[in-house]
Amino acid sequence: MKHILKLNVNGEDHEVLTDIHKTLLEVLREDLGLTGTKKGCDLGTCGACTVLIEGKPYLSCLTLAVAVQEKRILTIEGLAKDGDLHPLQKAFAEKGAIQCGFCTPGMILIAKAFLDEHPSPSEGEVKKAVAGNLCRCTGYAKIVEAILSVTEKI
Amino acid sequence: MRLPAFDYIEPKTLKEAAKRLASNKGAVLLAGGTDLLVNMKHRVIMPKQIIHLKALPKLQYITSGKEGLKIGALTTLHEIATSPMLKERWNIIAQAAQEVGAYAHQSMGTLGGNLCQENRCRFFNQSPFWRGVRPPCLKAGGKVCYVVPKGNKCYSTYCGDMAPALIALGAQIKIEGMEGERSLPLKKLYTHNGKKPLALKKGEILKEVFVPPASGKALYLKWRVRESLEFPIVSLALYVEKDQKDQIKKARIVFSGVGSGPVEATLAERIWKAGPLNEQTIEKVAEQAVKEISPMRTSIHSPAYKRKMAGILLKEALKQIYS
Amino acid sequence: MSLFNVIGKREPMLDALEKATGRAKFTDDLTFPGMLFGKILRSPHPHAKILHVDLSKALKVKGVHGAICGRDIPKKKYGIVPMAKDEYALAIDKVRYIGDEVAAVVATSIEVAEEAISKIHVDYEVLPAVFDPLEAMKPGAPVIHDEVPNNVSAKIRKEFGDVEKAFFESDEIFEDDFETQPVNHAPLEPHAAIGLADHSGKVILYSSTQIPFFLRRNLATALDIPESRVRIIKPKVGGGFGQKIDLYAKDFCAAFFALKTKKPVKFVYEREEIFTSTRQRHPFKIHLKTGMKRDGTIHVQQFKAIADGGAYNSTAPLMITLACYFIMLPYRIENLLFEGCHVYTNKPVGGAMRGHGIPQVRFAVEAQLDLIAEKMGIDPFELRLKNAFHAGEPHPAKLLVQSCGFSDTLIKAAEAIGWKEKRGKLPFGRGIGLAGASFPSGVSNMSHISSGAVVKIERDASITLLTGAADIGQGAETVISQIVAEEMGVPLEDIRITAADTEITPLDPGTFGSGVTLRAGNAAKMAAQSAKEKLLEAVAEKLEVEIHQLEVKDRRIYVKDQPEKGMSFSEAIKVYQYSDRPMPIIGRGSYMPPAKEPTTLLKEDGNFSPAYSFMTQAAEVEVDTTTGKVKVLKMVAAHDCGRAINPMLVEGQLDGSVVGGMGQALYEDVLIEKGQVINPSFLDYGLPTAMEIPSITSIEVETDDPEGPFGAKESGEGTQLAPAPAIINAIYDAIGVRFKSLPVTPEKVLEALQEKKGKTY
Ligand SMILES: Cc1cc2nc3c(=O)[nH]c(=O)nc-3n(C[C@H](O)[C@H](O)[C@H](O)COP(=O)(O)OP(=O)(O)OC[C@H]3O[C@@H](n4cnc5c(N)ncnc54)[C@H](O)[C@@H]3O)c2cc1C
Ligand code: FES
Ligand code: FES
Repeated sequence: MKHILKLNVNGEDHEVLTDIHKTLLEVLREDLGLTGTKKGCDLGTCGACTVLIEGKPYLSCLTLAVAVQEKRILTIEGLAKDGDLHPLQKAFAEKGAIQCGFCTPGMILIAKAFLDEHPSPSEGEVKKAVAGNLCRCTGYAKIVEAILSVTEKI
Repeated sequence: MRLPAFDYIEPKTLKEAAKRLASNKGAVLLAGGTDLLVNMKHRVIMPKQIIHLKALPKLQYITSGKEGLKIGALTTLHEIATSPMLKERWNIIAQAAQEVGAYAHQSMGTLGGNLCQENRCRFFNQSPFWRGVRPPCLKAGGKVCYVVPKGNKCYSTYCGDMAPALIALGAQIKIEGMEGERSLPLKKLYTHNGKKPLALKKGEILKEVFVPPASGKALYLKWRVRESLEFPIVSLALYVEKDQKDQIKKARIVFSGVGSGPVEATLAERIWKAGPLNEQTIEKVAEQAVKEISPMRTSIHSPAYKRKMAGILLKEALKQIYS
Repeated sequence: MSLFNVIGKREPMLDALEKATGRAKFTDDLTFPGMLFGKILRSPHPHAKILHVDLSKALKVKGVHGAICGRDIPKKKYGIVPMAKDEYALAIDKVRYIGDEVAAVVATSIEVAEEAISKIHVDYEVLPAVFDPLEAMKPGAPVIHDEVPNNVSAKIRKEFGDVEKAFFESDEIFEDDFETQPVNHAPLEPHAAIGLADHSGKVILYSSTQIPFFLRRNLATALDIPESRVRIIKPKVGGGFGQKIDLYAKDFCAAFFALKTKKPVKFVYEREEIFTSTRQRHPFKIHLKTGMKRDGTIHVQQFKAIADGGAYNSTAPLMITLACYFIMLPYRIENLLFEGCHVYTNKPVGGAMRGHGIPQVRFAVEAQLDLIAEKMGIDPFELRLKNAFHAGEPHPAKLLVQSCGFSDTLIKAAEAIGWKEKRGKLPFGRGIGLAGASFPSGVSNMSHISSGAVVKIERDASITLLTGAADIGQGAETVISQIVAEEMGVPLEDIRITAADTEITPLDPGTFGSGVTLRAGNAAKMAAQSAKEKLLEAVAEKLEVEIHQLEVKDRRIYVKDQPEKGMSFSEAIKVYQYSDRPMPIIGRGSYMPPAKEPTTLLKEDGNFSPAYSFMTQAAEVEVDTTTGKVKVLKMVAAHDCGRAINPMLVEGQLDGSVVGGMGQALYEDVLIEKGQVINPSFLDYGLPTAMEIPSITSIEVETDDPEGPFGAKESGEGTQLAPAPAIINAIYDAIGVRFKSLPVTPEKVLEALQEKKGKTY
């Protein structure tokens, strides 16, 4: 059955007429056209679909869109503020932490959630924070390096 | 993989939730959804209605006082894992929460959902295509168990991380139901019946976990191949409390991943309690504990391997808890 | 001071910010009005005859726009290697593995397509199946393809020197058996395709492919339409590692239904389908016999390799050939016999994967070398160094190696891992090991493996580059742009690139065999040169000098020994135009790797690659002797990739390869029971997470290859050959147990340790 869902995504309110059994991932990608959030497994095992809800990392493939109405949802498209890239976005690009880029949106967002909580983490803590976000290209080395480089700046 | 269609409601109160749950046969509770939604995508659970609990704000708390520790069922694992109070005084609980899945699972997943998660089996946690290679198994509504084809019992396995830690601490749970509230030792929540692993009656909802004051030492060890994401191949929680005369008053050994519910190795506990603890008795405790668990071929790991690791883990844990 | 301005710089990938902001579009990110969604029905049987497929109920589901099965498609077999075509897009007569494609549906939504799929009824006659390649080779085994009665679909036997005599001459002979597991490429982006058709019968396919031009050819064949009616566009691709080389049912079905319905049609695979129904690294069984001279010379090697190919060929003949050819380097071996075969079984299909047949044999060779070293009392490092091949040496199989930094990589890797201080000297449970390897930078002398490029100089002095090269995340577009920028004497930002669209960009074979940088790079360099020359002609005329006196740098063209005499690039364009020369300025390049010794890979002896990369990997591991868990603490990757056009991207390739190789050594295994993959998810398939990674030191041993563009070779695949044996060798150093089958799981280590102690639990 279709319902009107009220979603606040990247600071904007949206009303979406859609199926109630859709995941947030599906609504973001299919109804809102926000395809920056990726689907790597659709079963909660790869982290590519990570978004932030009230600042906390959520796997959007295991989140019902209907259940996060009226909450602040942040996707990769909303991370840059007024055209200014987030330091993580810059660091990922500059440090070579992006290869194919499919894991990147989820990786950057989980890193943001984590750094917001732990502004100066150890390397081990960074690894643990991103461990649910799989990357087949980079071997994670430059991802961890990029995240750590941002902590020094903060 | 798409979710099957369902109705969705957000009850305002726990009472209302219980009522809805009791009155609709096809209704299920949703907390963080990290277990339920996977099973729904796999079409092994096809609820008619989803009752979302997250709108109930009063179930998200961690408080501790003289009488013990209380954690609301909707508290997230991340809150548990990072609570300074838990880390200081109930570290085993924080530690177990840190071991669940990865960061996002912890930030979504709730304590209630973790304790009430479905049992797992390699023939059950699969897509319809995968399961379509053979007729449905017992747990998915069929007639055979492919783990033990001759038996008519479901051997699916409990793989949660929180239950062993909490059971070792002697946790109690509060359950809200149509007839009001009742309390139960957490241990009794588990039926050890793979087909219906929880002792919740129609309309009942887990509300709170209560842990009595514990002055002893506790430890949680989880065995998995990669250091993140994976469910335990086998895990165990230990708790030991001594009296003034240095005699063991309480000794608990609780396993996950090796039975249709969390398994307490009570006979092994007795050997441990009888002490004294040395190389030899540690060996004996482990030998006995390994006899009390019943791992089956429900995952990609063999029962023999699970048993072997359970023994090794227990010996490690016993050494660690005294050091 | 560096010779170069853009080459050798750690430039971020050109599309990095697009990817970091979520704007980069992968195939599944594209939508078109009125788009239909497809699903594929797959076989639940490992081997069965299809008696009848009833689509009628599926067609009645509301929202369904079409349903097809094998009988509805052209009876045209396809396969990535022309001589080994054995596959239909949808099974026609029978299914050969669990997951084989049987039928397909398109509908207005994925839900409807899923429902319709469940309503297709298929009558099967189940046939006996065979899962073990050795069983499959026995007489009387079930026949999987009628044309191949013994199930051996590809074979190679290659001998040079005199093997029999050489064994007779050997002082010591070693024989061992090795086994490797199936590994899934697991690119993070699931395979996807979108078909669009017009009324003239032309189809455009957006596909997550790594070889657009081959896909065009294969798709045209499978659809039975002229190649000119097919256009392939490659959007961003989320990793491939070889898995996105083949044509898949999703490509065929998207195109087929688009032509049929005249609507856009999208197919996207589920993660499970990627595990069961795409491709995987071939599991190998290898018997390796090596004859040694007392002084440590590897005198002769004999291989018997059996590759378990699963139900279809894919790259079979090529794979088994590569496996053979690439054990001929990086060591000098005068006598060698390789007998290899590819065997059909009723299992998921083997295909090209990073290293393509070579990591398996490399593992055997490198593990055995350590064994030999120990038995002969030689240091494993010294043994390798002694037998290392050098540039310019005559190669017994006539390979032409013009640059070779292998010895250097060995020395540097050994130094960085602390070989002298640590080998054999660390406490029990800790150890180090190393392994060497070599890889081709594409293959020579095959006209269909040529690259083209077009470089245009625009009126505003910006430069447009058209290349067919397929960037799948490795950064090919960036590297090729750097080559053009260097050649043109402008900064990277002046280059605009359009790539991998078969209708717009020139031919390119695509991303495989590690030939992209060398092949497409050379083509682009040629194109840039030719465009530049046109411009320089005008400038030389104006400045009244000879062209060869001019130099181009920092957007300026000037006289070499009179730098003040010159002009900016944009002034030069004006000069060009005022001299009444035709605009636009276009340079073209067509490049085929030359063969100094003519050969074609599959037929004759001789040199088959324009250049060879070399590498040594060293590992330090820690084994938890109580639980058997191995932790890789450190990896050193010393690599001769020629000149690194972009060191940061080379490091990225090394890091990814090292962790992939570690996955293969310790964690990853596609587990198959009676033909069914029992771990088709990231929960049970052990793709390494960030928690598993070691510290990685990469050392670039630069050589300047005469054939490579600015001296570049490859860094994509070769780097994945040696990590696994290096780790296995380190485990031996740590606990004295020699593992001969992969992966080395904690369970296996524990068992071995307990066996060693003679103790059981
Ligand atoms: C990739 C991955 C890895 C995982 N790894 C682990 C792991 O290592 N260890 C582990 O323990 N788990 C793991 N999980 C499972 C799951 O994430 C956790 O168990 C989580 O804590 C479940 O909580 P939830 O709130 O998301 O539960 P939900 O999915 O919302 O609910 C789970 C079940 O409990 C019921 N339920 C929820 N709340 C209540 C309540 N208050 N009263 C009664 N019934 C209730 C629901 O109806 C449902 O049947 C993993 C999951 C994934 C996808
Ligand atoms: S797509 Fe959500 S975790 Fe993989
Ligand atoms: S960059 Fe490709 S998966 Fe991470």
